[in-house]
Amino acid sequence: MTREEIKALILEIIEDIDEEADFATLQPDQPLRDQLDLDSMDFLDIVMELRKRHQLQIPEEDYPHLASLNSCVNYLEPLLKNA
Amino acid sequence: MKVPLLIIGGGLSGLAAAIRFARFAPGVLILEKHSRIGGLNSYYYRNNRLFETGLHAITNYAEPGNKKAPLNRLLRQLKLSRDRLDFHQQLQSEILFQDCESLVFSNNFEQIRDEIVGKFPHSTDGFAKLVTFLEDYNPFKTTIFCSARQFLHNLLPDQLLIDMLLCPLMYYGSSIEDDMDLSQFAIMFRAIFQEGMFRPGGTIKDFLDLLLNHYHSLGGNLRTGVEVKEILHKNQIVHGVVLSSGEVIECDNLLSTAGLAETQTLLQEPQPDQKTARLAFVESIFQLPGKRRHILPPDRTILFYNSGRKFHYKSPSDLVDFRSGVICLPFNFEGLQTQEYIEVRSTHLANYAGWKNLETDRERYMVQKIETAGRSKDVLEKIIGKFGSDIVYQDTFTPLTIERFTAKKEGAIYGSPQKIKDGNIGYTNLFLAGTDQGFMGIIGSMLSGVSMVNQHILSRF
Repeated sequence: MTREEIKALILEIIEDIDEEADFATLQPDQPLRDQLDLDSMDFLDIVMELRKRHQLQIPEEDYPHLASLNSCVNYLEPLLKNA
Repeated sequence: MKVPLLIIGGGLSGLAAAIRFARFAPGVLILEKHSRIGGLNSYYYRNNRLFETGLHAITNYAEPGNKKAPLNRLLRQLKLSRDRLDFHQQLQSEILFQDCESLVFSNNFEQIRDEIVGKFPHSTDGFAKLVTFLEDYNPFKTTIFCSARQFLHNLLPDQLLIDMLLCPLMYYGSSIEDDMDLSQFAIMFRAIFQEGMFRPGGTIKDFLDLLLNHYHSLGGNLRTGVEVKEILHKNQIVHGVVLSSGEVIECDNLLSTAGLAETQTLLQEPQPDQKTARLAFVESIFQLPGKRRHILPPDRTILFYNSGRKFHYKSPSDLVDFRSGVICLPFNFEGLQTQEYIEVRSTHLANYAGWKNLETDRERYMVQKIETAGRSKDVLEKIIGKFGSDIVYQDTFTPLTIERFTAKKEGAIYGSPQKIKDGNIGYTNLFLAGTDQGFMGIIGSMLSGVSMVNQHILSRF
């Protein structure tokens, strides 16, 4: 997957979690949680969707890598390079 | 057959847990003892009409945009669109201490705040401090028991106000006599006074059917009418269950919503002596023709009443304690059409042992049941006006009825006085959810199921 595809994947997953999520003003380098009002329960959904869709096992200690859209892409790029 | 997640109990916590798991992994199986799902919130048929059990009103109302509210978090976690649900808010409810004082409240928190300012001026500052305290308080942290009564006593100079505030919160979710844990108080205060009450437009059956269809569409499995007789385990690891038919079902993980003592029995663990009473209740339903609606209060959804200044929330020495109770008028929610029949429902504290003694004497049991309905009706009529001559059907659930259909030991709807907040009872792959995990009400119990799956199960798949 390219960086753009990974970004689209993350946004698609978030939209799936919260149909009212507003991406218009989303800052890619700022925490997703604060901008989209996500809580830790929603966050787990992102992890679980990645696992379901791409068989990715993300250990709990790596969750901080998923904080912002940019950090998600950086973290997932090597893991999804063959996806 | 080996299932990745087995869930004991098809009540709301079990269903929510199962849906949560089924969203991400296949193979979850719910085992329900009764022929019908729902647990404490279910239904039955008489005279070709459906009667709900348990449900009066659902607490934790939230507007759609409020993402952090428990109701909306729950719907997101289950991936249930709010558009599929039809919610109706309460009109007004009342805490009525007869011959003393009354507090009317609604889903607008300002209303009860104003009532308190007007009726308990000495406690105005204390109540404001209480609200501020609760804003920053995290009730989900595991802590030792802290008496809510003592805490309120230090804030509010009016003892009557303390009892009035505790009355609905205890009736809607305390498993402890005459007190509550502060964390439980905080959860219930928010759920009832700050968020408020509502109900779905249809019946509890429609709500359960919606959840069940959603669950089936995610590939989940359910078996009803199957009773778990024993949980098989070795070295604190569970590997399956035995049904009363003798069938064995193997599992990788087990979530029990049966309750703490009930689960310990299935594990064949020695149980510590029970020193504290389990609280049991009786509930009566009085059905009236819808066209007689005008004889009942037009704008009261729930009435929490008590006679006198002091509220006693404990197992009574008589079969039933009629000094206090909950009166529910389920037709008084915003925007509900008047049906052909309407109901008046009552709940009072009851003595399980007393009812249990009558079990072998069917005739006396039936006489007591009818007498209970009659006395409850008399008490209610003093509060909401005469309706007895319009009753077309009535029924009463005793603690034995509740025990039989919900498998809650001693018919204690709020379960054990002891709660296991993290669901961990010392096994690597067995966890508790539901009533004895400590979240109450329909939204609370469903969030309990969801959060136990999130915390303990999902990371293993």
